[in-house]
Amino acid sequence: MTQTPVFAVVGHPNKGKSSVVATLSQNDAIAIALEPGTTRASQRYPLTVDGRQLYTLTDTPGFQRPRRVLQWLEAHSLSASDHPDTVRAFVLQHKGDERYVDECELLSPIIEGAGIIYVVDGSVPYSAEHEAEMTILRWTGRPSLALINSIGDDDYSDVWQAALGQFFQVVRKFDAVRAPFEQHLSLLRTFGQLESDWEQPLEEATQLLAEQRRQRQRLAASIIARALEDLMGYQEKRTLTLDQVASTSEATLADTLRDRWYKRQRRREQSLRIDIEHLYQHQRITRQEAELEWANQHDLFSEDTRQHWAVSKKYLATAGFGAGAMGGAGVDALTFGSSLGTGALVGGLIGAAGSYFYGDRLVLPALNIGPLQNGLQSATFGPVQDSQFGYVILGRAVDHWWHISHRNHAGRDLLALEPADQHWLELLDKTSRREIQRALDRCRKQRPLSQSQRQNLAQAIGQAMAAYDNWRLNRG
Amino acid sequence: MSQNTLRLLLDVDSRFQRDRDQSPAFLHRRDRRFALDCEQQGVSPTPERWLDHMRRLSGPGNEAQTGRKVQQQWQRINSGFAIAGALFGVLTMAGLLFYDGGQRINITVFLAFVVLQLLLALATTAQALMGWQPWRWLAKRLSLHAPESTLAPLQPTLMARAGHTGGVAFALSGLLTLFVLLVIQDLAFGWSTTLDTAAASYHRLVHAIATPWSLLWPAAVPSLELVEATRFFRAAPTSQGVAPEQWGNWWPFVVMLWVTWVMLPRLLLLAFSHWFTAHKARLQLHGHPGMQALLYRMETPTLDTGNQHNDADDLPDVRTQATTGDLCDTPHMICWAGAGEPELPRQLTRRDSQIRKAGGRASLAEDDHVLTTLAKDLAREHSPAVILVTRSWEPPTGELHDFLEQAREHWPAETRVMIVPLANDANQRPKNLLIQPWLRFTERLPEGFASVALLPPPPDSPYQVAGASTL
Repeated sequence: MTQTPVFAVVGHPNKGKSSVVATLSQNDAIAIALEPGTTRASQRYPLTVDGRQLYTLTDTPGFQRPRRVLQWLEAHSLSASDHPDTVRAFVLQHKGDERYVDECELLSPIIEGAGIIYVVDGSVPYSAEHEAEMTILRWTGRPSLALINSIGDDDYSDVWQAALGQFFQVVRKFDAVRAPFEQHLSLLRTFGQLESDWEQPLEEATQLLAEQRRQRQRLAASIIARALEDLMGYQEKRTLTLDQVASTSEATLADTLRDRWYKRQRRREQSLRIDIEHLYQHQRITRQEAELEWANQHDLFSEDTRQHWAVSKKYLATAGFGAGAMGGAGVDALTFGSSLGTGALVGGLIGAAGSYFYGDRLVLPALNIGPLQNGLQSATFGPVQDSQFGYVILGRAVDHWWHISHRNHAGRDLLALEPADQHWLELLDKTSRREIQRALDRCRKQRPLSQSQRQNLAQAIGQAMAAYDNWRLNRG
Repeated sequence: MSQNTLRLLLDVDSRFQRDRDQSPAFLHRRDRRFALDCEQQGVSPTPERWLDHMRRLSGPGNEAQTGRKVQQQWQRINSGFAIAGALFGVLTMAGLLFYDGGQRINITVFLAFVVLQLLLALATTAQALMGWQPWRWLAKRLSLHAPESTLAPLQPTLMARAGHTGGVAFALSGLLTLFVLLVIQDLAFGWSTTLDTAAASYHRLVHAIATPWSLLWPAAVPSLELVEATRFFRAAPTSQGVAPEQWGNWWPFVVMLWVTWVMLPRLLLLAFSHWFTAHKARLQLHGHPGMQALLYRMETPTLDTGNQHNDADDLPDVRTQATTGDLCDTPHMICWAGAGEPELPRQLTRRDSQIRKAGGRASLAEDDHVLTTLAKDLAREHSPAVILVTRSWEPPTGELHDFLEQAREHWPAETRVMIVPLANDANQRPKNLLIQPWLRFTERLPEGFASVALLPPPPDSPYQVAGASTL
């Protein structure tokens, strides 16, 4: 049985080795800092399928004394054929030597058979000063690939590419923080090409990663659909005794219930954010508090938010026509078609008119105080009767999903979600619009969705996500 | 069978509801593990096995199964319908066969009632097939709507099943009542109608109705003579010339009419409703989004991308007490690892500058040479100082540390080293973020030996050195 491929990610200190590993292993809990010595020991990150390893990435510390190592190697070598053995001898001899602890850590996986992924920073000028490191790596005789990462804004990658080509079999550019997912897969395939035995496991891994991503998108749509259903149909309820009724004014009661309703809705929205982040293996984004800040600045129900995320009257009219027509079509079915489709037409027109005239008003859910029964009185607040509320939630949720799904695990910056300047839902196909509108209508009437309606809503949201992705892509 | 499928559907649905808040990664691991275990045991991972597996893992005390509850609820409803049907059967048959000795029991009324029963039975099945719920109010009253989304599509068929159970009980108790009345009473059957119908036509109708059992029990098919003889009119209550026993000769027909056209259809439709409920539950189960997700999780391998390791909080201590100092005037300068290439900033160039190169491409022997020659030069000075120019973006490494350690050994004890990290554009000040590692580096060296200094601004630069001291 052949050994599973191992790739040692090596290089000069602070060139983004850990960032490359974090992105490829989808691990946002790897220590990354602009401080030499952040990675003090090599760490393995295996990709496993049902517990079976397909490949392993090994993050290593940076070179600290490459010229001394090279001097030692040259002093102990007779010809090129003994280079790998000499490197092995160096590691064996200097295990536990504090001066060479970093070199031993980074060379150990390589002498055990790992492929070399040499990382440089393409945002700083090329320097021939690293040639000692590259020579040592060449001495190991292992297949190698150079990665030009970009930590800063400047770009010297072309010069780096030309220079690195002299030392490495393959040279690739890869921005660990910004590279899109397709580039991750492409890079992994390139890893597989370093040695013929590695091609199959890396190909299998990329296929599974691609499928995992597709599945995550489907799951994200279901999670958003569930939250939308929950938020749209939520009602805050309070039961009051006679004493409480007497001592509480209607305005106070309305304020209390409204506050509780708002708090709960915001909490639910936050839990949706966390669910989506965890789905994409982002465990630490919440600690950066970007979302909280964003939520405070753009109040969920503020006029400002509505302008950004609510849909147009025209959109509502077409979606409303679709949803109304479906209701009307039910009348046609009951009359075995004898109404010749009039039901669908009338239903559609009513739906469209209702949505056009009332749909874009962000009507807040009204207080409803029930009759006195057995000495108790119930007061309710919600659900919100405006479907625009649903579109606001949907817009924000899809925007957040997009940022999370496109965020690499090397990213440590604040997640800044800016409101869209144009509503991308206008790009959504009619069937999906109708499904969303129907679901929102049912929820606000507190009528539960059936399994198939729930499924249709999730599919429609999946389409909305695709539309958003498309819109982002074309927006440039 | 229908009970089992229905229970399975409801239990599986209940399990899916409980799984709603679990992380997708956990669910995938759990269900994939189950599928792999099944594969090892050579069995297929069916929903039944999956559910059993989940129950087994939950241990004893996990008996609050939704399926069982709903099943028991519907058993109670079916029993209720059966009891009500049996009571109605007795009362209806007693009413239909009410005979006070004065008037005949009208076969036509009996026929009409049987037709009504048949229509009711068919309508019950039709509503189940079409999904109508004329009994919705009853279901609401009995709180049969939870769990709403899963059971809702099955409500019409379950209601039809309850209806047919009641119908069968009705037919059975009606038949028993008929037998009892036949035994204990002398019933006189006849036929009567306001319509101008000849006995022959009526016989043809009766004969057609009796076709299903005509071969099985010919005596239960009324003859033309019997039909002709047993017609009666209200206006003429006593029929002349009819033998009294002939009035009773209708009973085999009545029995078979009830058995064939009331009881048998109900039994068949009850069996159909059982099958249909199971069929619909099976379809519901396979179409359940949770089931599709479960199958996906069982079929698809779990992928662990290597995100278990967590050292995000294990960051080096980046605090520093060191601050940048002023650049003193000295002609001795070392450019470390290519710093100052292609040219040094103007502020560092003096006419008498002695620029030496070390680190990077220079060999270790060249480094030693720099140290030795500088040691001689520094020994001649009162306050020896050396400027070490570095690239700010290349963090300090062990090699530089070694170099400075050696320098401290070779150079006069009072020698001061000023490390000047240059920005990419040598005339610009490097970013604070890049200076920080250099400050921390000097802290790791013997105290007072080395410090970080920044370039003074060129005469025509807006950059002010005052800001440097705040580092």
